[in-house]
Amino acid sequence: MELNANAFARNARKALSDKTLQEALGRTTGRFEAHRAAAVAGFPGFEAARERASAVKIDVLDHLGTYLGRFIEEAEKRGAVVHVARDAVQAREIAARIARDEGVTLAVKSKSMASEEISFNEALEAAGVTVVESDLGEFIIQLAGEPPSHIIAPAVHKTREEVSLLFERHLGEPRTDSIPELVGMARKHLRAKFLSAGMGVSGGNFLVADTGSVVLVTNEGNGRMGTVLPRVHLAVVGIEKVIPRMADLPTFLRLLPRSASGQTISSYVSILTGTKRAGDPEGPERMHILLLDCGRSAILEGKYREILKCIRCGACLNACPVYQSVGGHAYGWVYSGPIGAVLTPLLVGLPEASPLPDASTLCGACAQVCPVKIPLPDFLLELRSDARDQGLKTPGEIAGMKGYAGVMKRAGLLEAIERIAGVLGQFFTKGKGIAGLPYPFSGWTERRDFPAPAAQPFRKQWKIRRGVRG
Amino acid sequence: MPYTTGMDPERSVPVSLFFTCLADAFSPGVCSATVEVLERFGATVRVPLSQTCCGQPAFNSGNRKEARAMARKFLRSFPDDGHIVTPSGSCAAMVKHGYPVLFRDEPRTLARARAVGERIYELSQFLVDILGVTDPRSDFAGKVTYHDSCHLRRGLGVIEAPRKLLRAIPGVEFVEMEESDRCCGFGGVFSLKYPQISCKMTERKVERILATGASYVTSGDLGCLLNIGGLISRVGYPVKTIHLAEILAGKTGKN
Repeated sequence: MELNANAFARNARKALSDKTLQEALGRTTGRFEAHRAAAVAGFPGFEAARERASAVKIDVLDHLGTYLGRFIEEAEKRGAVVHVARDAVQAREIAARIARDEGVTLAVKSKSMASEEISFNEALEAAGVTVVESDLGEFIIQLAGEPPSHIIAPAVHKTREEVSLLFERHLGEPRTDSIPELVGMARKHLRAKFLSAGMGVSGGNFLVADTGSVVLVTNEGNGRMGTVLPRVHLAVVGIEKVIPRMADLPTFLRLLPRSASGQTISSYVSILTGTKRAGDPEGPERMHILLLDCGRSAILEGKYREILKCIRCGACLNACPVYQSVGGHAYGWVYSGPIGAVLTPLLVGLPEASPLPDASTLCGACAQVCPVKIPLPDFLLELRSDARDQGLKTPGEIAGMKGYAGVMKRAGLLEAIERIAGVLGQFFTKGKGIAGLPYPFSGWTERRDFPAPAAQPFRKQWKIRRGVRG
Repeated sequence: MPYTTGMDPERSVPVSLFFTCLADAFSPGVCSATVEVLERFGATVRVPLSQTCCGQPAFNSGNRKEARAMARKFLRSFPDDGHIVTPSGSCAAMVKHGYPVLFRDEPRTLARARAVGERIYELSQFLVDILGVTDPRSDFAGKVTYHDSCHLRRGLGVIEAPRKLLRAIPGVEFVEMEESDRCCGFGGVFSLKYPQISCKMTERKVERILATGASYVTSGDLGCLLNIGGLISRVGYPVKTIHLAEILAGKTGKN
């Protein structure tokens, strides 16, 4: 996916003035949030499950090589071919080679954020393979030529009216505002693709090391159909998705749907283990698993390693007031919201995404909902500090901070400035708010008053009260 | 007159006031109100006059060198014993949680920062949890709604203390707003870097406030109130911002 994270401020302004987007965001994020809260309230073991999931993920990070080795061994024992790509370029080469070697010309794909990281569709299209997105949301945005704007609800920014317009234009379907009718149209169109595709492509929510299984958690049947019907199945999964044992899976299955959509369990949980065996009624003859490193090993070595605990539930997006205000596209890459504000700079480099860590009030709502207890606000703070160390801050900000710190060194100097400001403020505003200020306060005063400084700061008042001179 | 706190009125509790640079400059009435309330419940209030800013704006914007200088000054300004009380959840959280990050590579300062962090409280937290106040003895009257500041609620975990105090004031009609725990959009430097997003969040907050029909919106953080108040005064909505300390003190207006 094309990277545009440094344009966050511009993207955000555009999003704020997009009425349709605002309507769609308000409707859906609020619903996700409410459903999640209800699901968590109805599950007394939620906190304990969070603790356990976090501990399992930390164990995975501590022994990632071991668990991956086990996973590869077990998966290959069961007929899968496992590939490891160190970066996006290599991942694209491998994916194209698999399609070519398997003689595939049409692939159906279910939702995968990891595949967006490597621009998977473009790579296959370049190799002459048609890729059809089969997740309803992904299908919609593929028609619109847009990237996903939410981890679990890629077309969350689209209203039903817009979807109907797209279906009219691209599928020749009549206009409707009935969601079941729209779903029916997509299903009819996709059914034919499922039946003729040579390869099904999926992501993977979990990789189970002790069985070599790829686990898919979905609400639409496309994930299962696309992975058992075509002759070849290709799963594209980040290396951090491995969990040690099948026995660990239930903990994550309790957390993921509740955190993502507020469901106690998703409609489908598919545990895909190896190729079709003798006697199996269905299943792929060939199974490829493409493991993506793409920057993850580097993250593992540093202070942000816990970001790799993420199970991509999207709860932090729904809880984030910034995401709710601007939507996913503003973040300019695959991942949005708080997880994107941390993960994008780590995967693509901070100089390519420096505005993202600043796109948060540090309100902490994300950390509160994270099912694997990632300290997202701490990481945002840490990245802001890295930005200073890497010379990515504006000279104006640094000068401002130095000046401010200089004043704060001496209480006497601060008081003198406060008293001058107090006199000026009272003179010009008569005690009311300030309606206009120059940069960097001009943005604030555009629609809000700025407080006028008090005539006499508290320190001075206290000195007078206690008879202290100075 | 017996104290409702159950504490011994003969024994005074030494408290150092961390008045915050924001209240010092923009709402000194909040600082005086804090002193008044603390004294009402038997505290002997000391005001270290060399204090300035805890360094949060620098820390939150990633300018740790400057933040560290301010944090050092803060640690030098306050005495080694007694409680430190502040009318700000955000500033207390900075000292408690931010300082250990700033000084993680300086063991001696880190130990000092941790010790100070143990002794720091936001006002309502101190009144309820330490002094055991159940009745703030305030004569404030009016319909009031409460905005949870993010750092007071999620940073310090203080949710019930301010509500208990508000409900205990006879003249206060307390009404909860929807999404009281949702950020108002201030975020310090955030409000300057992304003013449009910030304002969008503030508008949603103000909508929720207005829906309660309250005459006052209060909070444990002045930053939130200045932000919310800035939008209220620009549009001219019929609701006033007032800091929790001022309600507890029984004052009806600022300064």
